[in-house]
Amino acid sequence: MKRPADLIALIVLLGAAAIGPLVLLAVWSVSNGWLWPDITPRGYSLRAWEYVFSSASTALPALGTSTGLALTVATASVLLALPAAKTLARHPRFTGRNAIFALLLLPVAAPPLASTLGLHRILLAAGLTDTLAGVALAHLVPALPYATLLLVGSFRRFDPALEALARTLGASPLRVWWSVILPGIAPGLATAFLLAFLVSWGQYLITLVIGGGRVVTLPLELVAFQRGGDDGITAALSLIFVAPCLLAAFVGTRWLRPLR
Amino acid sequence: MTRLRTRRQVLLAPLTTAVVGCTRRRTEVAFAMWSGDEARNRHFRGPVAETLRSRYGLELRILGYGDIAEFISKLLSEKSAGSTAGSADVVWINGENFRLAKQGGVLHGPFADSLPGAALYPAEARRRDFGTPINGLEAPWQKAQFVLGYDTARVQEPPRSLDALAAWARSHPGRFTYIAPPDFTGSAFIRHALLRFDGATGSRYPEASAKALAFLRDLRPFLWRKGETYPPSVREQDRLFANQEIDFAMSYGPAFASERMARGEFPATTRTFVFDEGTLSNYNYLAIPFNAPNLRGALTFIEHLQSFDALLDLSKALKSPFPLDPDKLTARQKTSVEALPRGPATLPDSILAAHALPEPDAEVLVRFEKDWQEQVARG
Repeated sequence: MKRPADLIALIVLLGAAAIGPLVLLAVWSVSNGWLWPDITPRGYSLRAWEYVFSSASTALPALGTSTGLALTVATASVLLALPAAKTLARHPRFTGRNAIFALLLLPVAAPPLASTLGLHRILLAAGLTDTLAGVALAHLVPALPYATLLLVGSFRRFDPALEALARTLGASPLRVWWSVILPGIAPGLATAFLLAFLVSWGQYLITLVIGGGRVVTLPLELVAFQRGGDDGITAALSLIFVAPCLLAAFVGTRWLRPLR
Repeated sequence: MTRLRTRRQVLLAPLTTAVVGCTRRRTEVAFAMWSGDEARNRHFRGPVAETLRSRYGLELRILGYGDIAEFISKLLSEKSAGSTAGSADVVWINGENFRLAKQGGVLHGPFADSLPGAALYPAEARRRDFGTPINGLEAPWQKAQFVLGYDTARVQEPPRSLDALAAWARSHPGRFTYIAPPDFTGSAFIRHALLRFDGATGSRYPEASAKALAFLRDLRPFLWRKGETYPPSVREQDRLFANQEIDFAMSYGPAFASERMARGEFPATTRTFVFDEGTLSNYNYLAIPFNAPNLRGALTFIEHLQSFDALLDLSKALKSPFPLDPDKLTARQKTSVEALPRGPATLPDSILAAHALPEPDAEVLVRFEKDWQEQVARG
């Protein structure tokens, strides 16, 4: 940027683009009647929020389930992706490498309903449908490819010589992972975790089919109300839905800054 | 296979118990329903759940779906995998979903005709659901009817037939439109056009659909944005109506305008009307999945929901039409039905009932949606 004024204008513009829709959602969630050509709502009411926090709504338990589920899925994705990504990054030309990549991407590329019903079959045989564990396993299918691909990138940029150096200095394999590899790929690790978290956070169909309506997450609540056409409650649920994402993004950028 | 499953279940037993509450399976009744309506959720999680607990010792568990078709897909998949352990005891269903479920053999029954409450419904409610023979596989529950909404501040006298509505649209270009099928409500509107040309069954379909499609095609240039696009959802149509871009709203719920007025989404001068020739109406039903874990609980629950008192409470809570045949009620029951509160924009049950037309066959409906897509939307 040439001048500070340009920079400030740009920041204000970007900020407005990011915050504008959220402000609009907030107003929708408390408005009682917002008809054309009114610029502001005719009246305000806490009806939507009162409902969302009432015992008739499952929004709060759903928030808890969504958070627990997404944290579990993100942790498991990263743990499973680490060894796979390291191997894929370090051995660029082994036979079947492309096939493995294709397989990894298949669940993301296939039509969601087809892959979900396939998953349902498998988890049904394992007796895991309608359980939280089954839903978590099912969320791994779309989350894992993203985590793996991101970490492959991190490992490619990470110099293997550092690892060898630590080993020659007498560090144990565990120590090498802990003190050399993980700090070296930390930004990628955090991004992979965040992405896997968000993929799980946003799942609708998988949760519904595998969880059978017994595992209730926020998207389930949100979609039902969105289809019902209740603007107030949809807006309130949307705000609850995006809040942890904003928090995660905020914490993520904060935490990543010193490492760059 | 069996051994594998038992071993897994032993390993996972503590987890599963903690998560699903398997120990309460026997006293739990799980109800798969659309969960996107505040009044309905409040009614079921509150009074209905309390009555079930105190009167029958049953714990009601709501399995909320955004669309029951998703539940039917799950059932079909469970059936083909040979699974016997289902997740729901009762499902709220009708129309195309019922046809698919019946065809796939995923419903328990017949059970519905032997229920005590069934006798108070009009005979046609027990015979066919969107043309599909019911055969006792689902128990009638509630009633719905197509109505149109208008703002008395803008339109003094609404057009009272489909033809009059078309004439009105011609003299007020751009002020009318309908929701694009396959949206449920939009599909109901074009089905009404099909009925207008007498096309309720497959045998009459070719001739009637040709006429109905021509009628809708001729109407197209006079629609909002010259019919180049249609509102994709009820929500969008409602917004256009509220924003005064179009003059008619439509819904398959007779109380919709009153509800939206109460939420401040429609102007207070909104009212509803039906056509003189009638509008489409249907019943919706309660069915039991083939793999319901608590069959006895399911029957108790359905029997309760079909009882006069439960239906009265439901109509009061949702301001929906009362579904039982008035001729089969006692004088006292009739008085309490007539005393049900109705929103300012909602038509009385008697007017709705006198203008109710049965739905065409579910199969015709799917064909007509497709033909509309090809010959009206893209034509």
